[in-house]
Amino acid sequence: MAENSNSIIEMRNVGIRYDQGPEILSDINLSLKKGSFHFLTGKSGAGKTSLLSMMYLWQRPSRGSISVFGKDINFTNRDSLASLRRRIGVVFQDFRLLEHLSAFDNVALPLRVCGMEEREVRKRVSELLSWVELDRHMLDAAATLSGGEKQRVAIARAVINRPELLLADEPTGNVDNFIAPKLMKLFVELNKLGTTVVIATHSDKLINDFAYPRLHLQNRGLHILYPSDKSGLGGSDV
Amino acid sequence: MSKSVYIARKQELPLKGDSTSLFLQVIISIAVFIFAITLSGVLSINSILENWNQSILGSLTVQIMPINDANQEKAAAETLAYQEKAIEFLQTVEGVIKVTPLDDEQLKGLIQPWLGDGVNIENLPMPRIIDVKLASDAEIDFAKLAQDLAVASPQASLDNHKLWLSKLIRFADGLKLIALTILLLVTAISAGAIFYTTQMSLGLHRYIIEILHIMGAKDAYVAQQYAKRMAVLGLIGGLFGLLFAIPIIFFIGSLATQIEGGIISEANLSIGDWIMILILPLFAMTISMFTAYYTVKRTLQKML
Repeated sequence: MAENSNSIIEMRNVGIRYDQGPEILSDINLSLKKGSFHFLTGKSGAGKTSLLSMMYLWQRPSRGSISVFGKDINFTNRDSLASLRRRIGVVFQDFRLLEHLSAFDNVALPLRVCGMEEREVRKRVSELLSWVELDRHMLDAAATLSGGEKQRVAIARAVINRPELLLADEPTGNVDNFIAPKLMKLFVELNKLGTTVVIATHSDKLINDFAYPRLHLQNRGLHILYPSDKSGLGGSDV
Repeated sequence: MSKSVYIARKQELPLKGDSTSLFLQVIISIAVFIFAITLSGVLSINSILENWNQSILGSLTVQIMPINDANQEKAAAETLAYQEKAIEFLQTVEGVIKVTPLDDEQLKGLIQPWLGDGVNIENLPMPRIIDVKLASDAEIDFAKLAQDLAVASPQASLDNHKLWLSKLIRFADGLKLIALTILLLVTAISAGAIFYTTQMSLGLHRYIIEILHIMGAKDAYVAQQYAKRMAVLGLIGGLFGLLFAIPIIFFIGSLATQIEGGIISEANLSIGDWIMILILPLFAMTISMFTAYYTVKRTLQKML
């Protein structure tokens, strides 16, 4: 595959299916530019989570090729895949926190797997947890936190190592109206600093408030919709 | 300064509370217990063989068969004459450093366990025995020596102990082989138990491992956490196993020293042998650590 140095993710004729079932996504062609910001939309079951999981290198496509940070994942070994994943921050819809660990240890996870010095880990994590207003719950086990608090921990964990690519699945779904804009502001600020952002959402408010293009999944295909396009499907393939 | 500075880092994988921990510790304890006792057996057999070889290689025995004659005095005199001839001959053999005929008292000592005290040896058709010490570097053709000895003293026969010793050595080698097989089996069973419990644990903690991978953890990061935990379990299990094995080894040793006849009582463990036994918990720790490490690495290969 010809690599585009300006692309964070390149997908060519990608299809994904589970076991022997039908394809969830077919012929996906996508070039995600460095520093871009997209919403990922589509009905439930449209394949948003599958597309995201290929983006954060957890699933391989059933066919086609995916290149992430210029590396074709079909020809990348396990350790190199791990190194690529360190450059990606992920916020899951179900948070996926380690419930037995404290909020602090959860947020510290991406830094520790990289082997960062503990002193630096403590400094960075403490600062970020204060910023998301969780400093009082720093040592609380994740299991004891409320839904909104867990979501903030999940977001802090995704951004702690200043990822080049940030993928978020419904990141503001469980937070209140005060925290949600603050978190979106964080994503926007990270994007301004160069992080490529993809946010999967069902929230029309979010899509309307922030004029970013949408990657819309429909009929197993991917379409791009620009904020000016009100028709819903008038955009082009990405 | 944040209060987080004072908190201890918690392991991502909660392996400490695993239900398999106690099971593995018991398995490793039993394995080290069996290993220590079997190893002490192997080392004792080695020490016995070494002692036998040492004593046998440097000596041989010449037996002068008694002359049968109605006149006992004459027969005894002739037997002694053959003994003298044999001694004279043996003293000329290259590699022989000492030729000592056993006197009547020593001969009495040899038959005392069977015939008791107060036996008049002169009334018995007793062979005379000559103990011959050889130089450590002596290169002797025993077949030729036996022939020459028979010529020099027709009543003399040579016993270089090789025949009975070779049977004993074969027996001891067989025991050693059995013991080594047990050691291998014990190691393999323990490694197998670690392999399967680690795989089971990986299945239990699959959710956490997936998250770690998504965060960018390499297989080695997960494997190290398992290896560390298994090293601790291996060491503790090994120490317990050794703790129970040492009194048993001393007990078996004391039983061996009570056996008269001097064959098994030669089974002494040297300091080097004891060091080998005492480092078994470290061996258990190493085996546990590496088995866990490679099991995790191998199992995780199947994940993306």
